[in-house]
Amino acid sequence: MKILVADDSRVMRQIVIRTLRQAGFSGHDIVEAEDGADGFSKVQTEKPDLVLSDWNMPNKTGIDFLRDLRGSGNQTPFGFVTSEGSEEMRSIASDAGALFLIAKPFTAEVFEEALTPVLG
Amino acid sequence: MTTGTAPDPALVHAAFEQVWGSMLFTAFEPWPADAVPELGPGVQAQIELRGDWNGRIILTCDTEVATQIAGAMLGAPAEEVLPDDDVHDAVGEVLNVVGGSVKGALGGVMSLGLPGVTEATSPPSPDSSIIISWYGAPVFVEVVPDAA
Repeated sequence: MKILVADDSRVMRQIVIRTLRQAGFSGHDIVEAEDGADGFSKVQTEKPDLVLSDWNMPNKTGIDFLRDLRGSGNQTPFGFVTSEGSEEMRSIASDAGALFLIAKPFTAEVFEEALTPVLG
Repeated sequence: MTTGTAPDPALVHAAFEQVWGSMLFTAFEPWPADAVPELGPGVQAQIELRGDWNGRIILTCDTEVATQIAGAMLGAPAEEVLPDDDVHDAVGEVLNVVGGSVKGALGGVMSLGLPGVTEATSPPSPDSSIIISWYGAPVFVEVVPDAA
């Protein structure tokens, strides 16, 4: 499978990729995007099976990235990995079509629990 | 205009403690009360909170400490030389995660800015800072409301 990781922090993208590995999801193709606009573009060209996106990013936020995808008819499974994990944010994410919201700081166990239903 | 209450120092302290353990894999240790914190050439990261309370959380530390923090986040070998961009990125992300925790706990704060990182021009006042010990070097954390 192919996973697109969108975060404006290169360091955080590396940590997300490392955590995927630690959670047992090795061997998947990883594509990186540096903001929501880049992510939206790469969903069209790379056709990932899952998007893991930060929320708070320049150019296009994660929630606008998700809404634009769904607005264009794209139903790629989408989850947030973000520093804000309030109930309000979780509700907004869910209403927009996100499968889950993982709050930073996170553990490999949280990744495993959230991603297993998607990646198997 | 700020109408809400500033983040409780205990809340900020707890957010850093969580980040230290789960992102930096390092025990959180407060700065010893009887030691004088000294800061060499350093970096300063800040993030804005906007809503019922308006202000910034600011983190200041030595460049060497910032480099070690970045290395701890990335799990990089001690001898690996990290580019400045990654060091700034890592310190900013520490503050981003802390800001997210504080925002969630505060309520009424509507938005969190993007972290910005610059060279530190002067050391913060120890009296107005939470000081964390990073292997014997100080990391200053300030919660600064907007000027009235």
